[in-house]
Amino acid sequence: GIPWSILRNYSASTKEKAIGNVAYERTELLEVLKARVKQLQTSNVPEVTVNKAEPAPLEEDECRVRGQRTAAPGPDGEQSAPKGKDERLARPRSWVEKLRKEMYVKQLKAEQEVSTQLAEKQTKAKTKSKTKAKSKESLKAVAMPTWNQSPAGLSPACAPKPSKPRTTEVEDAKKRRPRRMPVDKESQYKMIEQTILSNLECFQFLQQPEKAEKLLLTYHKSAAKRKILTVAAYNIVMRSWAKKGCLTRIERLLFKLQSIGLRPNLDSYAIELECMGRNGSSAGAIRSCVERLKNDGFRVDELFQKCLFEEDENEMVLKAIRMIQPDYELPPPPNPETCKSSLLRSFYSKERNVSYPKLDFTVRELRERFQKQLELETSNTITIKSVEAMKPMTPQATKARELLAGLRSQWHDSILQALQKSKHEMSKASMSGSKALYPYLCLLPDEEYVSIMMEVINTLSPQGVSLAFLARELGSKIYNRYITHRKMRSRHLEKVQKVYENYIHLLAKDSQPDNSLPREYWEKLVAEIGLGASLSLKDRSWPYVLHMRLGMHLLELLVQSVKVPRNILNPRLESKLIPVLYHIYTFRNSWQVGLVKPHPILCQILADASETTLTFNSCVIPMLCPPIPWTSSHFGAYVLNDTRLMRYVDGAVQHQLLLDQCPQVNLHPVLDALNQLGNCAWKINQPVLDIIISIFNDKGDEKLDIPPPVSEAPRPPPVPSNPSLLNKAQKHELMLCKKKAAEMHSLRMDSLYKLSIANHVRDKVFWFPHNMDFRGRTYPCPPYFNHLGNDVTRAILLFAEGRPLGPKGLDWLKIHLINLTGLKKKNALQERLEYANEIMEDILDSADHPLTGRKWWMKTDEPWQALACCMEIAKASRSPDPAAYVSHFPVHQVGA
Amino acid sequence: GPGVLTRTLLNSGVRVVALENDLGFLPDLQSLENSLDGQFKVIYGDFFRLDPLVTGPVKPPTVCSEKLFESMGVAAVPWRADVPVKIFGIVPQKKERNMLWRLIFAIYECSSIYRYGRIELNFFLSEKEYKVLTAKAGEKRTYQALSVLWQLGCEIQLLHMEPWASFLTNSKNGGLAIPKSTALPNDHLCLVRLTPRKDLFTGTLKTTNSATFVFMVKQCLARPSCRIIDKLNSWSLYDGCKLLRELEIPEDAETVSLYPEDYRHLFDALQNSSVFTESWFHDEVLESARNIN
Repeated sequence: GIPWSILRNYSASTKEKAIGNVAYERTELLEVLKARVKQLQTSNVPEVTVNKAEPAPLEEDECRVRGQRTAAPGPDGEQSAPKGKDERLARPRSWVEKLRKEMYVKQLKAEQEVSTQLAEKQTKAKTKSKTKAKSKESLKAVAMPTWNQSPAGLSPACAPKPSKPRTTEVEDAKKRRPRRMPVDKESQYKMIEQTILSNLECFQFLQQPEKAEKLLLTYHKSAAKRKILTVAAYNIVMRSWAKKGCLTRIERLLFKLQSIGLRPNLDSYAIELECMGRNGSSAGAIRSCVERLKNDGFRVDELFQKCLFEEDENEMVLKAIRMIQPDYELPPPPNPETCKSSLLRSFYSKERNVSYPKLDFTVRELRERFQKQLELETSNTITIKSVEAMKPMTPQATKARELLAGLRSQWHDSILQALQKSKHEMSKASMSGSKALYPYLCLLPDEEYVSIMMEVINTLSPQGVSLAFLARELGSKIYNRYITHRKMRSRHLEKVQKVYENYIHLLAKDSQPDNSLPREYWEKLVAEIGLGASLSLKDRSWPYVLHMRLGMHLLELLVQSVKVPRNILNPRLESKLIPVLYHIYTFRNSWQVGLVKPHPILCQILADASETTLTFNSCVIPMLCPPIPWTSSHFGAYVLNDTRLMRYVDGAVQHQLLLDQCPQVNLHPVLDALNQLGNCAWKINQPVLDIIISIFNDKGDEKLDIPPPVSEAPRPPPVPSNPSLLNKAQKHELMLCKKKAAEMHSLRMDSLYKLSIANHVRDKVFWFPHNMDFRGRTYPCPPYFNHLGNDVTRAILLFAEGRPLGPKGLDWLKIHLINLTGLKKKNALQERLEYANEIMEDILDSADHPLTGRKWWMKTDEPWQALACCMEIAKASRSPDPAAYVSHFPVHQVGA
Repeated sequence: GPGVLTRTLLNSGVRVVALENDLGFLPDLQSLENSLDGQFKVIYGDFFRLDPLVTGPVKPPTVCSEKLFESMGVAAVPWRADVPVKIFGIVPQKKERNMLWRLIFAIYECSSIYRYGRIELNFFLSEKEYKVLTAKAGEKRTYQALSVLWQLGCEIQLLHMEPWASFLTNSKNGGLAIPKSTALPNDHLCLVRLTPRKDLFTGTLKTTNSATFVFMVKQCLARPSCRIIDKLNSWSLYDGCKLLRELEIPEDAETVSLYPEDYRHLFDALQNSSVFTESWFHDEVLESARNIN
């Protein structure tokens, strides 16, 4: 195609020309120009945004954020004007562009800041983990290979996703990459601020207000460091004290916060009142507090409308308020707003008369399904049988599995020991770098850390996985688990459960029809139950660096503690414990990539054992009940698992910031669209699945896109004892063999996951919660098995709810089949239908004898979907009345 | 090109074979060849595209060392013999690091041009790369795997330093087309002579096991501040401490503080243990050999 630079020049020059003309023929060209600007804006050419919005758009945006927080009317007012809207559209894009360039630099700088501010002395371990943290970032900044396809930390293994080499993370790029880009001060602060807040929140979760306060005060005391502190930091510490009813502590902190020029916000007052309600303060004290609240320009009602309450905070604040105003009633919920977008006006008005479609389930059934989903998510991981379990087991495998079981219990013990030892050492260390991680190692029971670490050993690909990737994954697994614990502890789950029980009345077939959308219905219920805003969690995500550092620490423990006797497979050798995982570097061009690889001994045992269970994070499995409707950018999809409304690269903070800043009502169309997709129920096409599994468990079939096992890989030539003796051609061949084997392994694992998950849910009805990327493409959240997959995956999915084909349905099915074959692309629909009728015999033969017959379906473009379609046509055409035949068959269409 | 380097060499009276990669300069050089009566020979080729990794026939200006030496009429001599050919060249700034890696690997393998003996290189390198080549143990930012390997493999002599300011550069924005360097000084172009050492392959190091040595050094210095004992332990060595004591290396030494000779001794000792043959090292060396280029 045309090089990008040319396009760029072109667009720039037309613009210049246009500007020149305007000077002469202003009136005539104004219209044209406007149109051009609009066109450019909607096609998101970054230059335009930059031109419009000063050289430093990031800083300007920061101001906007601030401005909006304190005085909302400004930007809100202009939002109805089309111009303002266009800007809103264009901005995220320009951020994305800028992000690409600056992410790496920012991260570097921010980390330096963090390190100098947080830790006076840097231990070696810390420096190390930092380099790793950088590495990942730099990759994203340089290459931006893909958007994170799976929600952070849910992929259970490292092998799949063949097309994406994960091992390209670059370590130690600092050495070679000049840091010339201007660094954004604002985002530096953001990073440090985020770190402090999550540290404080950790102590809050651990119910250690003393420690939290001590940490806060170290910043407070230093004139330089206190600049980073925000009211939110004080609020966290005060909240911990409020739980214990220590009013004096809170008052002291309020005084301190004002002494450095900060003003208490609504949350601060809510906390103070909560504490007063808890320890039964006098009416006088409460009255004076409310007085101060009013003097600061807040209203009592706002407390219940805006604050996010957890646990019993709501009740406590209410109790305090009723002390001075016994007849106080909770403010009525704000009237639901309706999206005013002109495109959707008719949708949002017309649908009022149409009731929301029901699912084919009763309230009781849906409730039971919700319970099952909840159980699944509470246990965090799920172990399922792989489809390979259908193969008979060899004695060799039995032996290897016994061996592995023994080793695993040893590894478990030694990891636990190493973890406890490291925690012990950290707890004693002074307030230095490693100490900062200590609270994060106390959030979960030790056993949970160990089992998360054990998963790494079980799923490590023989080719090794990049250190940075593993560390990030470990870090986010811990984070997700912590969030789950928090949700359970803060009564969040209880509230969600209560609302969901009522929510299913919208969907169940045995309850009143309602014309609300799922989101509206949910919001209505929340308001009725009187939960206010408290259903969304005060959710403070950990900064990216923290994920990495935590992950690196655990990974290091793992590499050091997990050992295996060297002679386990060859008793003739002398016994000696050797590490099971090793950390090496590979070099690509002039970059170093840190890899963690399993020892060949481990690979051998794992291969021999050919285990037939797979352990997944619970959000890898499709949901067993209709997803929780998206009602904000923080809330929706799974019951407990944290899911982002929008997918973005790790470490980017601006996206979430923009979403938060966006008026909620503007998100409604997005949320409603996702809910619509998520509420579609699916089931498995069992006959097709069985055929696929039989081929998969035999030897695979590359032509049919069923990856063969690695044992079918081409044999490499025998390697002489010394690699240098090989000539160039031999080396090349060897290299190709290895590459092929690695590719086959990942393809095979990917398929194994997909088929095993499908097989696991073969008798169930399930749902795919959806989210979207930055430009509005929607994706199902479960990463492996979903309806956006390849031909194989699509062929095994059916709609759970069937519809009669109707008078023309069978014809359309036939046309669809011809479309799947890739034949007759240039012919009219009628001709395609005629062609289908011509080859009806082949179609029926394919349906009846897929593997033994004429195999017509195998020669098509999308063989598996074609086969499924053949079967459907066969069933429909043989039914007494094809028009009445109830079909569940999905037809994929291009939505472009 | 028909530039200063060729002219100086010719004026000094030696026999010169010029490798020209620009077809535009070729006719003039060919007429020069005809008029100089055997003192000068020009070949269409690019020294910095020598012996590509891909198999199959090569297209000029890419050249094969075998063809090159054949047309130069230079036969292979044993390693310990005198320098058979001296090569002069200005290394393109972008390719410096890449070339240095390829050449050092060729030296240790005695492959490519080094199959013909100890070829002496006289290269114009940027000052920063020269600093890396000659870095001393303990200099955390400069001392790298490349330093260790080159210092053991070659005698490194600085013949001349010329400030970058002496050169007219044609970068588009008018600035110097020289990569900026923050950690290391980079104000000069250095003429450096790299003569492979006669005694490189005495002792345990052979062309057959040198890939392992290169791999070992690279692994150690990938992170200069890690401890050598940790490295040894991760290679499942039986008693790393004892080994280090024997070699008189402090147990808590960082890899950056080990002298090039220390690495050689370490390799000798490890070669005698089973580390290299038995563990995963073997496979990794093989893999790294293909990444080196």
